Amino acid sequence: MENERGIHQLDLARIQAQTRRHFLGWGTGGLGAFFLNSALAKPPSHPGGENAPLDFTRDPATPLSVLPPEFAAKVKRVIYLHMGGSPSQLELFDYKPTLARFHGHDCPESFLKGKRFAFIQGVPKLLGPMFPFHRAGKSGTWISDRLPHLEQAIDELCVIKSMKTDQFNHAPAQLLVHTGDSRTGHASLGSWVTYGLGSENQNLPGFIVLISNGGTTANAGKPLWGSGFLPSVYQGVSCRSAGEPVLYLDNPKSVSRDERRKVLDAVDEINRQTYDQFGNPETVTRIAQYEMAFRMQLEASDAMDIRREPKTVLKRYGAEPGKTSYANNCLVARRLAERGVRFIQLYHWGWDSHGTPVDKGLNVGLVGRCKETDQPTAALLADLKARGLLEDTLVVWGGEFGRTPMWENRGGQEMEFIGRDHHPNCFTLWLAGGGIKKGISHGETDDMGYDIARNPVEIRDLHATMLYLLGFDYRRLNYPYQGLDQKLTGVKPARIVSEILA
Amino acid sequence: MSSSGISGRLSAGAYFCSVALLTLAGFALAMFVRPAFGHSMLQWMGLESVPQAEARSFYATRVSSLFETHCTSCHGEKRQKAGLRLDSYAALLRGSKHGAVIRPGDARNSELFIRINLPASDSRAMPPSGKTPLTPDDVTIIRLWIAQGASGVRRTIPGAPQPVPEVKIPEDAPALTEKLRAPLAAQVRRIQMEHPGILSYQSRNSAWLEVNASLQGAAFGDAQLQALAPLRARIVQVDISGTSVTDASAPFLAGMPALEVLRLGGSRITSAALAALERSNSLRSLTIGDIETSEDTLAPLRKKHIVIHGGADVR
Amino acid sequence: MSVEPPPTHVRVWDLPVRLFHWSIVLLIAVSWISADQGYMQIHLISGLTILALLLFRIAWGVLGSTTARFRDFLHPPGRIIGYLKGRDGNKWFAGHNPAGGLMVAALILILLTQVGTGLFANDGVRFRGPFALLVSEDTSTWLTEIHGLVFDLILLLIWCHIVAVGFYLLVKGHNLIAPMVTGKKRTEYVPPNSNLIFVRSYIALLLFAVSAGIAVWVMAQGGYAL
Repeated sequence: MENERGIHQLDLARIQAQTRRHFLGWGTGGLGAFFLNSALAKPPSHPGGENAPLDFTRDPATPLSVLPPEFAAKVKRVIYLHMGGSPSQLELFDYKPTLARFHGHDCPESFLKGKRFAFIQGVPKLLGPMFPFHRAGKSGTWISDRLPHLEQAIDELCVIKSMKTDQFNHAPAQLLVHTGDSRTGHASLGSWVTYGLGSENQNLPGFIVLISNGGTTANAGKPLWGSGFLPSVYQGVSCRSAGEPVLYLDNPKSVSRDERRKVLDAVDEINRQTYDQFGNPETVTRIAQYEMAFRMQLEASDAMDIRREPKTVLKRYGAEPGKTSYANNCLVARRLAERGVRFIQLYHWGWDSHGTPVDKGLNVGLVGRCKETDQPTAALLADLKARGLLEDTLVVWGGEFGRTPMWENRGGQEMEFIGRDHHPNCFTLWLAGGGIKKGISHGETDDMGYDIARNPVEIRDLHATMLYLLGFDYRRLNYPYQGLDQKLTGVKPARIVSEILA
Repeated sequence: MSSSGISGRLSAGAYFCSVALLTLAGFALAMFVRPAFGHSMLQWMGLESVPQAEARSFYATRVSSLFETHCTSCHGEKRQKAGLRLDSYAALLRGSKHGAVIRPGDARNSELFIRINLPASDSRAMPPSGKTPLTPDDVTIIRLWIAQGASGVRRTIPGAPQPVPEVKIPEDAPALTEKLRAPLAAQVRRIQMEHPGILSYQSRNSAWLEVNASLQGAAFGDAQLQALAPLRARIVQVDISGTSVTDASAPFLAGMPALEVLRLGGSRITSAALAALERSNSLRSLTIGDIETSEDTLAPLRKKHIVIHGGADVR
Repeated sequence: MSVEPPPTHVRVWDLPVRLFHWSIVLLIAVSWISADQGYMQIHLISGLTILALLLFRIAWGVLGSTTARFRDFLHPPGRIIGYLKGRDGNKWFAGHNPAGGLMVAALILILLTQVGTGLFANDGVRFRGPFALLVSEDTSTWLTEIHGLVFDLILLLIWCHIVAVGFYLLVKGHNLIAPMVTGKKRTEYVPPNSNLIFVRSYIALLLFAVSAGIAVWVMAQGGYAL
């Protein structure tokens, strides 16, 4: 026993001595090197010419306080409507009459050679559009008959038919769309935006996520609205449009608001002592978050409560209070936009029209999804416009990749229901709102809808454009992490899609 | 020392004359075998006119930038692969060591067009794989330009695709911004401290101000709005939706010389006050929410090209 | 007993020096043509062979036969100018005369520069020298530019060299080419007490093997296999 303790103490002493010796030995040399480095080093050159880096520091007690954009923004907030599973562009926006002519033919080898598909094997057949298309609105934009309500707003939309991605599975593709990288660990769009701009309403989260039609998480999970390496205060808060808006926000039944206040005061006091002891600004942020949660108890419930809307409005959206639905979420989104929430993200699942089960078939599942989303989306656009909000809101609608012009034959077998496999080469996404040209299409796919023929738009180009509309040079909205000034657009150069800017 | 008489030997003079002649002959041969070199020599000696392109010509505005972006890293000042330079109109017409790359009037037989029109899989395709490819529009521009004579003068080529607009990201101008903000900076700071969240600059590089009182509700009224009077000349946007601002503030709002966007749905402003807004020369967007009003009131505003949101749509 | 007539020719150049000279001539031509026609693999091998030969020549200039040694033909500038002005009278030199020595030095240095810059060069698309990735792209491009400019200088120097040799041949009547092939100069043109020492060729072979090894190592640095 004595021996062991003695040895243990010796060990400790040895380790400590080593540390001291190391420090004294090379540390001084190292310190000298550090000094020289900082004294002699030029300030790092910044992208965007000689501009100094943007300063995003805030009082840690108000991490979501508003910061002005770099230059005059065209939009102040974003509503992102993500159609999870990926809607078939060939059935909705990308009209391919040539493909229709080749319906049922074997897929040419050139489409298959050297390519990997999620589920297609062997030689599938080509699948023409399942629904009739026509030109709509004054702009004459092509649209199928599946979206009759959205059609009314077609002249507001900028339809990008040449989006491209390099991911053909849901999770990495969704991560790429929402965080700029196909692997987890990166900050999401909403986190970047709230980090850069803060939020106008300090009583609500700056970044709210609403999910419909399928559980509470996406294929890629919560990282889709996570803050990654950004401080966690910028993560998205997943809210519900039925029941408690935010889980675990409300006090337990036996605890009143006053009692909650007393608990918070006590917690505050302890946290302040911790802060006095360690001086970690994250502690101040934590105090601020508790306070915000307390304020949110009142305001969030109010914001999410669609029962307060007139019946005409409810009818326009097709919203039914008490249920969880995309329509309810759209109405909540408009309410949140009015209340100064910076980034509102809606997820609606079930667009993955492989044709395997019946509810994923193009002629059943897709029809259902369109019915669920068409009216509310159109109502949201009209409502934002009527309230003057559309001119400084950016609305985005899209999936994470496209769908193949081939009829999916899972395992090489012909399938009972009609479906398309995942297709990263090209997909359609539309934008509406401030700073965007109205009633145009950008980009084209080839006659078979297989590859992009003109004006490809990478995901990072879309992100760069969104950040530009929000008033940022995408290169200057960055955060140092792991030795790199991390950006939403990643390390490859991105292009702002100038052709769609008003 | 010159012993021109001794057999087998030349005089020094004769020798160096021959050397000089041989050197010139060598140059002449090089100029003949490599026409691009030949032309550049002749032009350098002033024996040939150097073709110039006008600054506003189609070539200068649409074509040369394509070469600069996609070609001159290998065919320009630093490198001249195949002896070809594409960094000037004259060089372009001189061609490569194999001859002319442009046949004015005949794109299909111009080596340059042939190369840029090859499929990417062809090893001779230009730009080579790994370099940013030309878009189909770019190739069309070059084709049309060559076909119409590869002119350095012509300004427009019919059928050419429209140029892609460039996005200019404004540069920081901290000193200028500081200067523009200076006169009212103290007042802005004071108001921001007394009423946080209402007043903000339009951007980090702007001295324009935006007012958003929509989250204040009834607590924000005429008094609070008119307290912004010292700043009225710099306000570009006002959102008083849902506040208790009344018609009394209408002249104040109409009198803001730079106000562009005004939202007053849900406030206590009525139709009567809307007419006052006709006075504004800067207003371009007005949101009236569910304020009861008539087309008669709104018509004059629409005539001034003010976009009006709300009305029947909101009810 | 009959006295043998004195030999008409004296051995002055050893085999390694001669092989070096004509190999360089050939390899410069190969490098030129391969670069012009785009056969970069051949250009790489040719350039690296030149590197090996240059390294060998420098070593041989220290350790080789008398006429091969730098000490023998490198003279201070004053001496060179004096020689060119004719102040040396009709003095003969066993190996290179001062002007010739200058040309040798210039050519070796400029070829070293050319090979050196070539190691870092890149053609902007598919080909790069073995060391090109060790420097920034801008530096590599700049060195490639120099590689191109130095080439013109090499051509100029070669032309000067040919003109000079031609001058000796056609004006002075003094054939310098044949000795560089056969290794022997006419006895009249060699100073009598030259005391030329010739080092065995196998030592040259050893030195060349080492140089070649270095060149192969350089090639491997670029990821190129033999």
